[in-house]
Amino acid sequence: MAEGRGGVAPFSSPVIDATGLQRIYTVGSSTVAALRGVDLVVRKGESAAIMGPSGSGKSTLLGLLGLLDRPTAGRYVIQGTDTSTLDDDELAALRNRAIGFIFQAFNLLPAESAEDNVAAPLLYAGVRRPERQRRAMAALETVGSADWRSRRPTELSGGQQQRVAIARALVGDPGLILADEPTGNLDSVSGGEVLDVLDRLRDEGRTIVLITHDPTVASHAGRTLRMSDGGFLGEELCSTEPDGAGA
Amino acid sequence: MLGVFIGSAAVISLIAVGQGAQASITSRVASLGTNLLSVTPGGQIAGTLSPGDASAIGSLPGVSAVAPELSISGAPVVLRTTETSAPIVGTTSSAASVRDLQMVEGSFLSQQEVTRGLQVAVLGSLAASDLGKTPGQLLGRTVDVDGVPFRVIGVLASKGGSTTSADNVVYAPITTVEAHFANPDGVFLSAIGISVAPKADMTTVAAEVQQALRSRHELPAGSPNDFTLFDQAQLLSVAVGNSLVLRNFLIGIAAIALLVGGIGIANIMLVTVRERTREIGIRKAIGARRSDIGLQFLAEAVLVSLGGGALGAAAGSLAAPAVGHLVHVTATASPGAVVVAFVASVVVGVLAGWLPARQAAILEPLTALRAE
Ligand SMILES: Nc1ncnc2c1ncn2[C@@H]1O[C@H](COP(=O)(O)OP(=O)(O)OP(=O)(O)O)[C@@H](O)[C@H]1O
Ligand SMILES: [Mg+2]
Repeated sequence: MAEGRGGVAPFSSPVIDATGLQRIYTVGSSTVAALRGVDLVVRKGESAAIMGPSGSGKSTLLGLLGLLDRPTAGRYVIQGTDTSTLDDDELAALRNRAIGFIFQAFNLLPAESAEDNVAAPLLYAGVRRPERQRRAMAALETVGSADWRSRRPTELSGGQQQRVAIARALVGDPGLILADEPTGNLDSVSGGEVLDVLDRLRDEGRTIVLITHDPTVASHAGRTLRMSDGGFLGEELCSTEPDGAGA
Repeated sequence: MLGVFIGSAAVISLIAVGQGAQASITSRVASLGTNLLSVTPGGQIAGTLSPGDASAIGSLPGVSAVAPELSISGAPVVLRTTETSAPIVGTTSSAASVRDLQMVEGSFLSQQEVTRGLQVAVLGSLAASDLGKTPGQLLGRTVDVDGVPFRVIGVLASKGGSTTSADNVVYAPITTVEAHFANPDGVFLSAIGISVAPKADMTTVAAEVQQALRSRHELPAGSPNDFTLFDQAQLLSVAVGNSLVLRNFLIGIAAIALLVGGIGIANIMLVTVRERTREIGIRKAIGARRSDIGLQFLAEAVLVSLGGGALGAAAGSLAAPAVGHLVHVTATASPGAVVVAFVASVVVGVLAGWLPARQAAILEPLTALRAE
């Protein structure tokens, strides 16, 4: 298999195709160039880790890749769709269909049960209730969290919450999983559990981009991209799986 | 929920207390007797009203009682060595009901005493107290009125009006007053009190009285009345009830209550929405459109406002009498106040819950997610 362990597959179609992405924040009269023209291609089935010091623009980049924010300049094509001309509702629909998010702070809806949290993306996709419940349960099972379906986020540990959040990211079967420091708020045990789930997703051939400060976490990805001061420094390919490298 | 609840409860209580105050003032005025009509002689010519006029009015349909009044102004009233001065009003037994006179001691003039022209008197509360005796002590005593001895058979309760003139009076049978004090030129009544039957219409009866007097006085059509007919209690209570001051005061209270309640509601709802900006960010991240967020918050704001408004309306209605009790006003939440407070609270609650959420939904999801 040319694509084993999230390695680069030059012939597969790009999920992420970004050119010259810039993001300049304006705070009062001063401006902060958080991203200074970044190019990135991530192909279907790849897993990529982004590393870099605090403030280097990792979250800013992931926000743009996740359509949670608009670039100041640059072009971003996701799964063949150019996003620059899309309006707010079209971006929402694209996020709903194409992207699953995993956040450092879990970001579950506090008032809703694990099952309803997982089913929420399907609600916005217009899926009917019985089908939503069925698929939410299936997603909870893949992350081993079916037992907690009726618990509120406050009744779950951090590791449990993050697994529910992963189930939510998977429930719509999106082509791209984005994770911003998914283990950043977890101890090593629950962080390890979350990492196991992510490894399984990678092995299933899902496209994953994650941010981490932890080299161990990064070593699970097929590529590691290093950022500094709003741009990429360079890239290392996964040393354990050099096959298929061609970028 | 809490905001809308407190807002609507406060508005209802405040309006109820205001309305209670207004009602108590109006009813105090109305207690003068809303079924009372008075006829007095016309401005220029005194002596246009005769006892015959009174009996003619008494036979009109819709009139339940008539009290002719023959007044002698400022007569000296003497009990042994104590002297005061009070108008003597000669009248009939009907005056008690027509003028709504309440006794503290003894009884009012009886029909028999009037027909027989007995020298008996009923003292107004002020006239009685000016004689330096308690009502009980005065009963059965003889007072000299302008030199004529009268036996005191009753003392009236104070009318409680703002002026004391209604209490400084001595009532005696009209026949007796006529016999001892009448003007040699004839008997001219100073007033005729008319009690309108409960079911009769005040305005209709007033028109009939006016018609009857005009024809008895043979006034040509188009000429002014030679008497004055007025509906004192009604005029007063309408005047007080509708008085701009009281009305504006009440509107002012209601407006302030609505404003304060509205600000309270809006504030709590705004805080809630701000706290939930992160939730809006999460929902947008997983694919909610602006309209989804708007609709969700609108639905929640409607539910919360309706619930809070209804509970607040109930609590306000219950609390109003208690609040009124504290300030000695019978405060009952009127349906109008409840409806106004409920509707206003719900509208403010819905707007304050929905509009800021719609604003927050416009934020880029990343910005909303960063909100604390
Ligand atoms: N909303 C904003 N307004 C202004 N400046 C911002 C905003 N968001 C980020 N920045 C700035 O942009 C730069 C990049 O921020 P970003 O959050 O992408 O860093 P990061 O690499 O994710 O850091 P960390 O590892 O600490 O999460 C920083 O200098 C930050 O201060
Ligand atoms: Mg970051």
